[in-house]
Amino acid sequence: MTTLSLTVNGEPVRAEIDPRLSLADFLRENLALKGTHLGCEHGACGACTVVVDDMPMRSCITLAASCEGVRVTTVEGFDDDPVVTRLRQAFRDEHALQCGYCTPGMLATARDIVLRHDRPDTEQIRAELAGCICRCTGYRGIVRAIARVIETKSQATAAKAGTT
Amino acid sequence: MTDTGVGASLPRKEDDRFLHGRGRYLADIEMPRMLDVAFVRSPLAHAEIVGIEKPEEAGERVFTARDMDGVVPIRPTSNVAGHRIVGSPPMAFDRVRFVGEIIATCLAPNRAQAEDLAERVVPDLKELPVVASIDAAMAEGAPLVHADWGTNLSMETRFDSGIEEQVARATVQVTRTLDMARQAMVPLEGKGALAHYDARDGQLVVYSSTQSPHMIRNALCQCLGLQQRQIRVVAPDVGGGFGYKAILHPEEVIVAWLALRLKRPVRWLEDRFEHLTAGANARQHRYRMTAHADDRGRILALDAVLTTDAGAYSIWPHTNGFDAIQASGILTGPYDIGGYRVRTMTVATNKPPLSPYRAVARPGACFAMETLVDAVARAVGRDPVEVRLENLVPAAAMPYKAITGKEYDSGDYPASLRRARAMVDAVSADAGPDRLIGTGYAVYTEHTAVSTATISQIGVQMMPGFEQAAALMQPDGSLEIRVGVQSHGQGMETTLAQIASEVLGIDPQRVSVRHGDTALSPYSTGTYASRAIVMTGGAVAAAADKLAFKLREIAAHMMQCTADDVRLEAGELVGPGASMTIEEAAVIWHFRPFDLPEELLRDGLEVTGGYRPDGDRAPFAYAAHAARVAVDPELGTVEVLDYVAVDDCGTRVNPMIVDGQVLGGVAQGIGTALFEEVPFDDQGQPLATTFGDYSVPAASEIPMIRLDHMETRSPYTRFGVKGVGEGGAIAPPAAVVNAINDALRSTGAELCAVPATPRRVLQAIFDAQDRAAGKKEAAR
Repeated sequence: MTTLSLTVNGEPVRAEIDPRLSLADFLRENLALKGTHLGCEHGACGACTVVVDDMPMRSCITLAASCEGVRVTTVEGFDDDPVVTRLRQAFRDEHALQCGYCTPGMLATARDIVLRHDRPDTEQIRAELAGCICRCTGYRGIVRAIARVIETKSQATAAKAGTT
Repeated sequence: MTDTGVGASLPRKEDDRFLHGRGRYLADIEMPRMLDVAFVRSPLAHAEIVGIEKPEEAGERVFTARDMDGVVPIRPTSNVAGHRIVGSPPMAFDRVRFVGEIIATCLAPNRAQAEDLAERVVPDLKELPVVASIDAAMAEGAPLVHADWGTNLSMETRFDSGIEEQVARATVQVTRTLDMARQAMVPLEGKGALAHYDARDGQLVVYSSTQSPHMIRNALCQCLGLQQRQIRVVAPDVGGGFGYKAILHPEEVIVAWLALRLKRPVRWLEDRFEHLTAGANARQHRYRMTAHADDRGRILALDAVLTTDAGAYSIWPHTNGFDAIQASGILTGPYDIGGYRVRTMTVATNKPPLSPYRAVARPGACFAMETLVDAVARAVGRDPVEVRLENLVPAAAMPYKAITGKEYDSGDYPASLRRARAMVDAVSADAGPDRLIGTGYAVYTEHTAVSTATISQIGVQMMPGFEQAAALMQPDGSLEIRVGVQSHGQGMETTLAQIASEVLGIDPQRVSVRHGDTALSPYSTGTYASRAIVMTGGAVAAAADKLAFKLREIAAHMMQCTADDVRLEAGELVGPGASMTIEEAAVIWHFRPFDLPEELLRDGLEVTGGYRPDGDRAPFAYAAHAARVAVDPELGTVEVLDYVAVDDCGTRVNPMIVDGQVLGGVAQGIGTALFEEVPFDDQGQPLATTFGDYSVPAASEIPMIRLDHMETRSPYTRFGVKGVGEGGAIAPPAAVVNAINDALRSTGAELCAVPATPRRVLQAIFDAQDRAAGKKEAAR
């Protein structure tokens, strides 16, 4: 067993874990944070994506033991995040989810895309989403939702620039 | 229409929980003392089980078929004469017949430990000869999947309308062989089941990631010898189904049996490796098609042979013959064709059992028919759209009785194609100098909400009948709707509330839709065949009608008029001189019974409504799709530049949700067209076992699909709706391949198989070059 200390959704967590335990299983089984979903368990579908120290990361191929001292944010921890709040509204408006299984990973990835881009075209957003599989929506709603949030972000930035 | 009823693009009621990660899927359910399952699966496609060695100290946590005393293997049934049929055994007894078949079941407190245990179980297998393709299975002297059959031909059907007269008139014959590969369905959440015995209710409770809870209960009762009242099946949130979760899985029988035997909760969660190997069970059709046409490309007769590579066992309930029956019943598609002859062969192979995947056999049938139509157009030197327009059933002919016996209820097929052409032509993409551009079309018609009559003909253990819905008015006038279908992405918690709102004028925010639980809802065969909005939507409306009548009677009594004088308007019961709200009427029944006469009190405000379309006739949805692609003739890669779908599902209850269904279907269809395949080697070994080799399209591969809709109300259904859940997936293989062939026209290449991988595209180009070289050689 290995001792692990880290921060999950703002709370300090300390646990004795099996060295082979993945971060995804640690979140789901040890902490009962069931919002992180497993779609492939080999790092290819993106459903398990969480934010680790501000970077989106696949929790199914991240060993929990490698997360000493990091800050992890899961879908349960985004309620005070202004970008995710806007993404949630945009996902609803653009019908960017159906069965909901890919949604937590999509939100974590979309948040990262919104933070890194100011004026991406559709092609860029599609390319940025290449690591996340959605089997239901055909992606159009997801791409549009991200574009919409970036647009409001850019408008806000432009407005701010205009006043200074 | 009200602004919350039929026709409103209401935001979905289910979104909030999913966007906060608060859905509850099967893997999210935990129970005290629960054990997780890992299976020992066959590494060989065909072998005799000589013995199974269990680790000594853990033997009591490993179970094999020999332990399953009293469990009856599922027995699928069929009315097709001579249909040889064997259901999947829960665990293999003395023989395994495909890679991934279950040999032993291992239990541990968590999955990782169960897998550790499974690694230490050693099956002693004696290899047997394998048939891993249609050709191998049908060869003279082929090894037999089931020795007692004496053949690998599981089912054969023939239909012949008489085609001699049409063939005699035809001046053009075009023949093609068309192949669709084997696929996995890949719902993003794997299959899973968790069973436990509830002593208080005297029930085996089975949580299953299923589309059809009552059907699973039917099956488990057969297998375990229990009465229906003794089993409860609950589908929690289900992360995509696509047909994979509309069948009984042997694993469900095993965990149910283990929970009874051990009196502990037992859970199995399918992982992606299991899904891509043991679950590689969809599509895989081969068509040999001949069109007999005139000089203008008017198709006079179609002569077809369809063979399916159906795997080792029959799934339940649809049987292994479902693909062949569906495809042969719809092969002539949206066309007016006077003569049709078809022979189908369902062939057993050492592969996982063929199962119905979104739109069942129609993507294969549409691919075969629509690529053939393009080949006919090339043969007569005409534009494929013009040839289609000449062959399509015209709007004036509706309702139209097809040569297959099916009745197409309504619509304007040529108009949908004209719209698709206008939309896709409007886009001219810059594909770069080295790529070839092409446009392809496909039109289909789809039998949705399949009828009792259709299913009863084929004799499978799934009888839709009248769909039921319960409407329970609560004491405060809020409403609970209970239905036996299961919503796993279709948004029925929203659309069924909209239908209740349409009838009662009640705010959908005061309506809850409960689904997917045999303990809560009326009986239903479940969610499949694009049936829910037609059948369950109709049933909800019927229940709401009953409730409306009761509410009007209560209001009439209070207002001292007759029920006929009371109208329901926007949630208000309006009489000649007064009005009251639905809530007030509900409160009167529940809390002021002394105000009502006995006959109004006797039957409460909890009602069940039943529905099926008028005369048990199914509505036919249809669409025209157009694809514009760029092909790199050096690399064989294909990019979809533009994709257009013009569909008609009659009245759209929630247009936003309809769009979502079509978009998602098209994306899956593009997967079938270009990427998705589980190839098997000649020893029956699956060659795509991770998402590294099984390519599911991501956003980078799917263009921003563009939609248009026509709305021809079905004359037979409530509100004029037609099903829409599957349709999007039908046409893309045909439209994309027709676009590729259009792009390759200068090379003379013609692709006749999907997925159109770079290897297949290049092979088609090389074949064309060889043909051209051969012709030159011959001319010399």
